[in-house]
Amino acid sequence: MASATPKASVSGTAFEPLSTAFAQNPYPAYAALREKGEPQFFPDFGMWLVTRFDDVAGIARDNSMVRSPEFFMSHEEIEAEKRAQNWHDMPHHSRFVQFSMLDSDGEVHDRLRKQVFREFTPAFIARQRGMIQSFVDKLVDGLIDKGEIDFVEDLAAQVPGHIIGRVLGVPDEDCPQLRVWSENVVKFFDIDRNDERKATAEKATTEFYHYLQKLMAERRAAPQDDLITRLIAAQDAGHLNEDELVSTCMLILMAGHGSTIDVLGSGMHALLRFPDQMERLRQDPGLIHTTIQEMFRFESPLPFFHRYSTADCVVGGKAFPRGTKFGLLYGAANRDPTAFGDDAGSFDVGRNPNRHLAFGGGAHFCLGNHLARLDMEVIFTTLIKRLKSISLDEAEPQYKPGLSVRGPKALRLTLAPA
Amino acid sequence: MYRVTFVDADGQARELTANEGQSVMSVAVANGIDQILAECGGSCACGTCHCYVDETWTERLPAPDDSEQGMIECLMSPTERSRLSCQLKMTAALDGLVVHLPREQY
Repeated sequence: MASATPKASVSGTAFEPLSTAFAQNPYPAYAALREKGEPQFFPDFGMWLVTRFDDVAGIARDNSMVRSPEFFMSHEEIEAEKRAQNWHDMPHHSRFVQFSMLDSDGEVHDRLRKQVFREFTPAFIARQRGMIQSFVDKLVDGLIDKGEIDFVEDLAAQVPGHIIGRVLGVPDEDCPQLRVWSENVVKFFDIDRNDERKATAEKATTEFYHYLQKLMAERRAAPQDDLITRLIAAQDAGHLNEDELVSTCMLILMAGHGSTIDVLGSGMHALLRFPDQMERLRQDPGLIHTTIQEMFRFESPLPFFHRYSTADCVVGGKAFPRGTKFGLLYGAANRDPTAFGDDAGSFDVGRNPNRHLAFGGGAHFCLGNHLARLDMEVIFTTLIKRLKSISLDEAEPQYKPGLSVRGPKALRLTLAPA
Repeated sequence: MYRVTFVDADGQARELTANEGQSVMSVAVANGIDQILAECGGSCACGTCHCYVDETWTERLPAPDDSEQGMIECLMSPTERSRLSCQLKMTAALDGLVVHLPREQY
């Protein structure tokens, strides 16, 4: 159980990823870790934290660094590890969430990714632009009348889930329920996991599974032009089994919800914190692509992922044996001055090149990156065009706690139409 | 050391040197060719290192494998000369290669 004020000591340096101070501004803690040079041990998770850009990029892009420990641990060792992390006795979570494309490597990962990657490539995603624009226009119509909004709840949270739902083939009216399930499953990934969250995550996975079973039966009876219908065809052709199909649908729906909501919120907050950058974008809307790229770098919404080494290796000048677990802190790497210059801590909507690691790297590079960017492009372009001004109604918006996510809980704004 | 030339969408050319086995993508990234984004770092997973091989070279390159071909078909503005530069590895046979850069990757 997490205590009220949990602390984790990293080689003598206070590192408190569950503290309010860290939630509000993790970057001083990240800088302190980066300045130590070599990876630092994080006892709560039994892993080495990696924070320098070159080290994080090197591990993320290295095929000998894997997500699943099955390459070097026995079934019994994996079960013991799950028990130690309180991941055990969760039959549906184990079947559909703990197993996924994201947590597979090699042949299994490549086979599953091959079934879905076309749908998320630039040309396919570009076809969704009109659909996203009309969806956002309708939402913004309602919000302009309202005047005062919570940007996170009223706009950010309404878009990505509906769009990914439409790509997959989920009816609009079911999207709010899918968001609740997704959040309840994802919350359990953070470091402050407890038995209550565990029960909630298992219940959400079970309900999610039953929902998808029903939807799949409907598509089998009446195929549609959507991803779930194409995945059913792939299953019939023997490319993946039913558990893999369910797991892949859950992964796509969950990945398509939270992180884009978070970076929409933190991106809007950045534009409001740095009004000169908002003005620059208003004067030159062609900067929207570099703006979005910078939002992902500046406040990476999923700042923490892990890898296991399958061979002896050297990271940051230090030798590590096979089977070492590394925690990759993308949020720290993306502020590394050696990669982004002395202004790595500045929000610059024209930054180019901007080869950040917010989408990870290597074989697990974020499948939905083009869809997330298109959602953001449509939202920010529409708001800037239709609003004369956007102002922040609170001094210091509160950010979500924890190491695994980064984004404001709410962002209260006043909108003035153009 | 081999030579590889990058020609941008405005016709500006830059000749760079490459080591044996080095990918055309990594030559571009190491030398500030910003049109090659290469966001996944060379795993054929993002489609942001797209280039067009000069027509004098198309016949001389090894054909793309299935994963590269699948990605090429889903890029913005692909042509028969489209390749992912992360999958083009420099060898003596490719010394002097010329590739053209798209104006935007997506």
